[in-house]
Amino acid sequence: MRITSRKRTIAFAVTLGVLVAAVALALNISWIVLNWREVVPLFLGVLFFGFIIAGVILNTIFLVREVRRNEQQDSFLNAVTHELKTPITSIRLYLETLQQRQLDEAQRREFYQVMLQDTQRLMGTVEQVLRAARVTQKDATLHRSEIDVGPLIQDAVELARSRHHLPAGAMTWELDGKPAEQLSVTGDREELSAVLSNVLDNAVKYSPKDPHIRVDVVTPDLEHVQIKVQDNGIGIPTGELKRVFKRFYRVLSPATQQVKGSGLGLFIVRAITRRHGGRTWVESEGAGKGTTVTIELPRYQS
Amino acid sequence: MTGRILVVEDEEHLARGLKFNLEAEGYKTEVAGDGEAALDLLLEQRAAFDVLVLDVMLPGKDGFTVATELRQANHYIPVLMLTARGRPADVLKGFAAGADDYLPKPFDLNILLARIQSLLRRREWSRVLVNDPPSESRLAEPRSADVLREFDVYAFSGKQVDFGTLELRANGKIFRLTLMEAELLRHLIRNSGKIVSRKQILEEVWGLHEDTDTRAIDNFIVRLRKYIEKDPTKPQHLLTARGVGYRFLPKPAG
Repeated sequence: MRITSRKRTIAFAVTLGVLVAAVALALNISWIVLNWREVVPLFLGVLFFGFIIAGVILNTIFLVREVRRNEQQDSFLNAVTHELKTPITSIRLYLETLQQRQLDEAQRREFYQVMLQDTQRLMGTVEQVLRAARVTQKDATLHRSEIDVGPLIQDAVELARSRHHLPAGAMTWELDGKPAEQLSVTGDREELSAVLSNVLDNAVKYSPKDPHIRVDVVTPDLEHVQIKVQDNGIGIPTGELKRVFKRFYRVLSPATQQVKGSGLGLFIVRAITRRHGGRTWVESEGAGKGTTVTIELPRYQS
Repeated sequence: MTGRILVVEDEEHLARGLKFNLEAEGYKTEVAGDGEAALDLLLEQRAAFDVLVLDVMLPGKDGFTVATELRQANHYIPVLMLTARGRPADVLKGFAAGADDYLPKPFDLNILLARIQSLLRRREWSRVLVNDPPSESRLAEPRSADVLREFDVYAFSGKQVDFGTLELRANGKIFRLTLMEAELLRHLIRNSGKIVSRKQILEEVWGLHEDTDTRAIDNFIVRLRKYIEKDPTKPQHLLTARGVGYRFLPKPAG
C-alpha cells in the first residue's frame, strides 16, 4: 500500500513537471516562429523560455527527490522505533515476570542474561543512530593512530561471530601473506571497528541461514590497504550498487523485507572511510550471487 | 480459565518471555516465528487455538497480512495484535485487518494477560449463545434449538465432532472447523444415510433460496473430506450422489 501511494505521488509530480515543460517548450517554438524576423525579442524570449523550462525540470527533480527522502525517513523511523521498543518491551516483560512470579535460581539467572543482551542491543541501536549523526559533522575529531589491520579484523570477526552465534568456519579472515607490521593504517580505532562491524553484520544479515563470509586483506600498492568482505548472500542488483550508501536507503525487494535494518549501516561505513581519506565500494554479480564490500584505507606512513 | 494460545513473534526474547508467562497462567502456548508458519498452523494443519497473539513487524508476511488472510479464509480465532506501532493510523489498520484487540509495545504484563483473558471469556460466552440462543427468532426457524441441542458431540467410527467448540478429532489430529463447515457437517449427519441434494443444503444450511451456484458446496465437502477421510479421493463417509448431492454414512462404506 505504501509503495503504490508513493508511486502515485511521484507519478503525479513527474507528469505535472513534464506537462508544464512541454507547454513551455511549445510556447517557446511558437515564439520563435512568430518573431523569427526580429532578433532582439527573439533572443530574449528564447532565453527566458529556456530559464522557465530549466526551472520546471529542476523543480520536478527536487520534488521527486524530496518525496523519496520522506519515504525513506519514514521507514527509518519505523525501523528505529521497532529497534528501540523491542528490547525495552522485552526488558520490561522480564522485569515484571521477576517481580510477580516465583522463580527458581536458574530461571532468574537466565532472565538476567536475556535482559543484559537486550540492553546491549538497545545500546547498539543508540550508538548507531548517534554515530550516523556524528559522522556528518565536519568538525568532529578523529583520534588518529597507527592501527594494525590484523588484530583489528580479528577482533571484529570474533565479535560478529559471537553476536550472531556463528561457527568458526562461517566467518574466516586472511592477511595478504605480508609480514604483519607492514599492514597498518592510520585511523581512529573505534570508528574503524564500527565500520567493520557494520559490514560484517550486513554480510550475516543478508545471507542465508548458513553464511560463508570471507575477509581478505589486499595491498594494491604501497599507499593503500584494502579490506574485502565477501559473502554468499542475496547480492545487490547492479542499479542499486551506488544507492546503498545513501542515508536511510534500503533496497526494496521480497528478500530484503525479511531483514530488519535502519538504512544507516553503509552510510556510516562510507562516511567514516571518507573521513579517513579512503574509499568504499560494493560489487555484486547480481541478486542471489553474494556481495563484496571493499574498504580502502591509506597505509600508515612512518 | 484454560485456553490454547498461539504467539506469533519473531523476536526470540519476547517470544520466550510471553510463552513463559502464558504457561505460568495455565495456558497451553505455542510460538510461531513468522506469519507463514502461523498461517500454515492455523489454515493448513488446522491446529486448534483459542487466541492468537500476533506481532505486526514480522519478517515476510506482516501481522496485518496474516490477520487479513485468516479472516478471508473464514478463520475467526480472536486476534490480539501486539506491536511497536502505536499511532492511531496503525491501530485502525489493525482493526480493519480483523484484529479483535490491539496492544502497543511496551505493554504491561498484567494488562496483556487481562486482555487475553477477556478474549477467551468472550469466546466462552459466544459458545453458550450458539448452543443455547436466548432469542425466540432462532426457535421459529426449521433448525430449532432442540435440533441444535440434539447433539453437541457426535462420534462416528473413531472420529469425534464437538459442535460446541467446533473441533473435529479424526485420524489422531484435532481440526478446527469454521462455523459453516460445522453446520454443513451437522446437516449431513442429521440426515445420515439419506441423500441430501445441493439445493436442500443451500436452503437449510446457508438459508439461501435463490438459484445460487450450488458448486460452492463442493469446496466445503472437499475440505471436510480432507479432515475426515483417510483418503479424500476415495471417500468412505462423505459420499457423492452423482448429479444430486451428498450422503453421510457413519460407518465406512463398502
